[in-house]
Amino acid sequence: MVFVFGVNFPEQRLASLERFYGVGPQLSERLMARFHIHPTAKIGALGGRQITDLNAELTKLTIENDLRRKIQDNIKRLRDMGSYRGRRHAMGLPVRGQKTRTQITTARRLNRVDRKG
Amino acid sequence: MFPTRALCARSIWKGPHIVPLPIVRPAAGERVAPIKTQARSATILPNFVGLKFQVHNGKIYNDVLITEDMVGHKLGEFSPTRKRFTYKQTKNK
Repeated sequence: MVFVFGVNFPEQRLASLERFYGVGPQLSERLMARFHIHPTAKIGALGGRQITDLNAELTKLTIENDLRRKIQDNIKRLRDMGSYRGRRHAMGLPVRGQKTRTQITTARRLNRVDRKG
Repeated sequence: MFPTRALCARSIWKGPHIVPLPIVRPAAGERVAPIKTQARSATILPNFVGLKFQVHNGKIYNDVLITEDMVGHKLGEFSPTRKRFTYKQTKNK
């Protein structure tokens, strides 16, 4: 078991940072390349130095709950202003002028004032 | 990585969409009638803050009080144009 940024990783897993909300494939690849970690390396194979480096880099980013709160604040600001976009978020409908006759499952799932995920 | 695509909506060299609106600075303790306008695409500028607008939605004029958050948005965003569908029972059938 290895701790990276407060999360317990099993040693057999690939050393990928995409587990964190707000870190995608591109950013994960970049961070790992910066500390000379191969994309197929296992977590258990990392040195302690690399893990502390990753930790230091991750604390600089807005990820996980900070990012969730940021997104929710942005939506809440739109809602409190009474703008069209805020209203669409509150109604759970597409925000950017998409059609609503069909295919609005993503908006139904995600668009709300206290957005989760 | 790109900045948000929303910034690509309008070129920076054009500046904000400025519409000549009849804005009167109220003297102290004096009430001013709201500014009636159909220019929904007018960008809200910092000097609009605190003013009252009546923005057309195609049918009626909605009252909008401009706050500091709204700067940079358009007037039309605060005047909804669509009505929620409600079923009406037909009377003579």
